[in-house]
Amino acid sequence: MRQSQTAVLERNTTLTGEFATEPYEAAWAGEARWFVQVLERSAEDAELVLTTQISPDGITWCDHDGGSHRTEGELTTWAVHEFGQWLRVRGAVTPAGAQVKVRIYLAVKS
Amino acid sequence: MSEARSAPSAESAFRSALLSVDPRLSKFRPLPRILAFDAFDSGTHGWTELLGNYDGRGNLDTVDDHMRDFRPPQLSSCTFFDIGTHGAMSGTYALKLATRPIPGHTATAIRRLTMSGRGLLQIEAYFTYKSEANLGGGPENDRFGDVVWDGNLHPSEAQFGAFTVATDLCGDGGLRYHTVARYLNTDLDNRLARQWVYPTVPEPTPREHLEGKVKLGYAADFTAPNPEDWEPFGEPQELCYNEVPTKVNWHYLRWQIDTEARRNVELQVNDRVLDMSDVPVPPYAERYDSLENLLNFYFSVRTHSATRNFLFLDSVVISVDW
Repeated sequence: MRQSQTAVLERNTTLTGEFATEPYEAAWAGEARWFVQVLERSAEDAELVLTTQISPDGITWCDHDGGSHRTEGELTTWAVHEFGQWLRVRGAVTPAGAQVKVRIYLAVKS
Repeated sequence: MSEARSAPSAESAFRSALLSVDPRLSKFRPLPRILAFDAFDSGTHGWTELLGNYDGRGNLDTVDDHMRDFRPPQLSSCTFFDIGTHGAMSGTYALKLATRPIPGHTATAIRRLTMSGRGLLQIEAYFTYKSEANLGGGPENDRFGDVVWDGNLHPSEAQFGAFTVATDLCGDGGLRYHTVARYLNTDLDNRLARQWVYPTVPEPTPREHLEGKVKLGYAADFTAPNPEDWEPFGEPQELCYNEVPTKVNWHYLRWQIDTEARRNVELQVNDRVLDMSDVPVPPYAERYDSLENLLNFYFSVRTHSATRNFLFLDSVVISVDW
């Protein structure tokens, strides 16, 4: 039986400008998937650009080589492989000054 | 009175022998019936994030501010910037609670069971606690609170606030109460206290907020928000922080309560046994529905600084005499 776990890293959080989620350890997992659920937008064109980040220590971060993702519709998702120990997602709300309210799930599996 | 001790029963001796040769259990002293044996090499075993209550529409905006961000537990290999993977006491993984780097922020892991009897109830764990390592900055980072780096003492020890082990219990017609033991490493001014404390009041509830009785802000202390509602028990106890934030030394914790008498019994941490029989357990004044036989345990960690605080659990055993 494979192990699996879902963590809710942001819960009804209203974002503006740039942000990053708290570090999350998932070294035991072979695969991961982000789910970013947009609950509210301050304007029709308000959206998020999101990038997976990885870290050797939970302190120092670099972008994962999976590229960036733009929220479209209610739920945006992408898979992450070969991430090592630590995961977080950084993002920026566009256009400037706009607000986006989100829930962010990290689903990991051995 | 004779000093001769009666011989243990064959059943008791056999059980004792079996426990003593099992390396997973021989490091514990469980009561006769083991309800849970949680070694985090094999998952989270039902230790999950605590969340406050919300309305019938699933609107999480209706969760109280102080109860909506207790952070999800993580399976951690205790990996650090300086030595890499430390590993757990047994195997690679421990359950880790991690706060945000916000003063007052709390992370929790809660285990939800119910009671099939009344009597002695015991939780045992191997734990360690850490502040996040601080990388960079100037000489100002060599001191924090009343700790100055001297090659031995490390300022990160003063950046660790408190950890708590507690219950949420209910039964006997809706009578609800908590037993709580908190290790206050520092006071709210980041001065070392190293004192076990307990709350003198029940925990505020979402219903009290809905009824307009209490409104707590983000990062308020959910167990007992007023620092004056905490009292010390036992003498101060120094634990093994081991000089820097990246060395892991596992501590033994054994805490026993009595759900028949709704009382604390005793707390053992390493070689120290603290008599808790006189530590009061204030029940809620009103009765609760839908919580009959509630048997919840939680661990929490709370930072008093702008540094992430971590509580690691290698393994946990919950046992009873009923």
